[in-house]
Amino acid sequence: MNKILKLIYTLLLLLTVSNNIYAQSATQLEGEFKLGPAIILIVLLLTFILVGIFNRAKDTKTYWAAGRKISPIGAGMAIASNWMSAASFLGMAAIMYGSGYHGLSYVVGWTGGYVLLLILMAGQIRRYGKYTAADFIGDRYYSQGLRGVGAGLAIFISFSYCVGQFAGIGLMFKWILGIDFTWAVIIGASVVLIYTLISGMLGVTKNMQIQYVIIIVSFVIPLFILTYKFGYFYWLPQVGYGAVISDIVNGIAPGGGLSSVGHDFAILPSPEFAMPWDPATGQTAFQWLAICFSLMIGTAGLPHVIQRFYVVPRAKDARWSVVWGLFFICILYWSAPVYSAFGKILSSNPEVGKLSKDAIVVYTTQLGDLYPLIIGFLAAGAVSAAFSTVSGLLVAGASAFSHDLYFNVINPKATEKTQMLMARLGTILMAAGVAIVALLNLGLIAQLVAVAFSLAGCTIFPLFLLGIWWSGSNRTGAWAGLIAGSSVTAIALVYFIGGKFGASLPYQEFINYYLNAWYFAWLGAPLAIISNIVASKLSKNKTPLEIKKFLAQKVHNYE
Amino acid sequence: MTEHEQYEVNFFRPISSHAKDNKKLISTLALIWAIAVFGFHFLLIYVTTPTPEETLTEFESVWPQVATDSSATIEMKQTFAKSLLMVLGKNIALKDDHKKVLKESLSWTAFSMQSDSLKNIIQSDPNEETTNAAVLNFGLSDEGFDKIMIDLIPNSLVKVENNLLSENVKTELPNVMNLYLVHNQSFLTDFKFLGFPFHYWYTAQFLLILFVLLCLFYAVSIDKMNKKHDFVEET
Repeated sequence: MNKILKLIYTLLLLLTVSNNIYAQSATQLEGEFKLGPAIILIVLLLTFILVGIFNRAKDTKTYWAAGRKISPIGAGMAIASNWMSAASFLGMAAIMYGSGYHGLSYVVGWTGGYVLLLILMAGQIRRYGKYTAADFIGDRYYSQGLRGVGAGLAIFISFSYCVGQFAGIGLMFKWILGIDFTWAVIIGASVVLIYTLISGMLGVTKNMQIQYVIIIVSFVIPLFILTYKFGYFYWLPQVGYGAVISDIVNGIAPGGGLSSVGHDFAILPSPEFAMPWDPATGQTAFQWLAICFSLMIGTAGLPHVIQRFYVVPRAKDARWSVVWGLFFICILYWSAPVYSAFGKILSSNPEVGKLSKDAIVVYTTQLGDLYPLIIGFLAAGAVSAAFSTVSGLLVAGASAFSHDLYFNVINPKATEKTQMLMARLGTILMAAGVAIVALLNLGLIAQLVAVAFSLAGCTIFPLFLLGIWWSGSNRTGAWAGLIAGSSVTAIALVYFIGGKFGASLPYQEFINYYLNAWYFAWLGAPLAIISNIVASKLSKNKTPLEIKKFLAQKVHNYE
Repeated sequence: MTEHEQYEVNFFRPISSHAKDNKKLISTLALIWAIAVFGFHFLLIYVTTPTPEETLTEFESVWPQVATDSSATIEMKQTFAKSLLMVLGKNIALKDDHKKVLKESLSWTAFSMQSDSLKNIIQSDPNEETTNAAVLNFGLSDEGFDKIMIDLIPNSLVKVENNLLSENVKTELPNVMNLYLVHNQSFLTDFKFLGFPFHYWYTAQFLLILFVLLCLFYAVSIDKMNKKHDFVEET
């Protein structure tokens, strides 16, 4: 008994000492090596790699679809972990911190899309029984060309999705290691690449379940402490922060005896934080709706999300995995606004200075003077969130490269060994490319990720939606829809990238507003769907009978 | 009926009874989903009106006199300075060029309120003496929101060159104040639920709960429906 007491006492002493050391530099939010967080991060990464090694992929089928061995709850956790990326963990709070209510369009968009995904696609996709998004497109529209384009799109979408993740990994590595952002991205990218190459998808799926637990625990614990410390309802911080929002609107006068790192817990009235499309944020109601809609349909068109339905044994499991997945995701999404609200108050003192919005989750806990190891765990959780998504994306990209492009289009005689080699080569090329683009710092994490959603919403979503629900949609229609969606995408991206590099383009202001890179799918997706329908109707080339039969009998249970 | 027509899949024209039930279920859920998300936000757009903060009313009550300087009393300038500080306190919400206009206005106010013999204090680079002079001139106490404003002053003062408020500031300042002090409000934003402004709770919490419930309902219903129609899914 005495030994246990001594051990507890020693641990408390050690933690107090480390807390005191930390407190001395509390106002300096970054710029130095942080031992505690670094150790936690290394332990977590080693765990992930070990789990990956023990569950490594033995062949291509295992690599792509994890042997279809995952239960619905396990698959739900994997969906949630795969989904809860740096954009969810860091980016959402960042957007709400900077733009208030506008940021909730990301929260609603990234969850509401799952309803569409479930009721329109999940079970049907699983019943169709293909391994990748490109496989479905190629088979359903009986076209090797479309299969190739589908694979290219899957790579492009995964690529642009990864850019925001690598930026998040870079930010956290920078914070923990106290190094330059460039080196932080390079080191982070190398680690995630090695991990994905070792583990493959089965390892990734197993790891995703572990990662989910780490992500959610690390994200939620600080909220209990913050709400408790600052006198709000702490039994359920996701409800307790309602009073925080109202306090921000009305202002908090100093003098309540509460302080954070030497400053009063106080703020002047700031209704712009909570009021809808506040003029101060520079965001409009149209933008709120456009982002929300684009993210929703993008969710239902992301290849790496769709692909997760192939790892469950049955269509029923695919559906239930979405239900569980969404519930697990919502736990984080109910929590993220709490960080932005406390961050808003705690960073309001001018002495705090201007903070990087994308790291506000971590800064909030620092400014709230939370225990350093808890902050370290939170930062490690952020890295886990980015890692779990990136590994899934790299696998999806590599699958598209090796299976859909190389094996199905370029070299159908390729052996399993060659396919595995090509998958690994694709992973390396993609990771290197993403790291380079991430270093350009093109936008906030959530915004960069939103580009991938609009891209998927304009291209993949219409092909799946019509492919499943209307057998009249044929190859000609698919091409027409793809061209329409891709054209809108191309315009939006040219104006976005051109604008970033100072180019002057015609109608720039108009296009930047209505076809912004974060939400161009609001127009692109309906246009692609209409083009697909019109071209299919006008075309003489009809969907082959065997495809219609398969759709009717296997996918929709027509007698 | 040709074989092509027999196997035609069209969501809006279901052939089998299973497909008809499925269509009904999906349509109902999609409608609830759409109304809950977009219907509510269209309502929010419709009912909200631009509502000024009290600070804007105070600013507008003194601005004409302060802008001409001649007829502004000390109390008016104090009210003016406090309204500027209220906006400067919005910190991260402020754009850099707007911050510049606010800082210039605040510094000029401090300068114009300073006695002639001590104007040089405000004309030097901002320091502790400048801050103390400004706090005194603005009539700030060490309590309530005034205390936050005092904290803001050291970072809000800039060097003042002369006793004239620039034309650019005179033109820009009312726009800046309007931009940051007018908010879209309505009964949906004013009503409180679980401590939240109602619209915020609805979007941040209720919609997510609804999405989970819709998914749960669909998963349960479709399992029952498959059973009813003897549809054995792939194993």
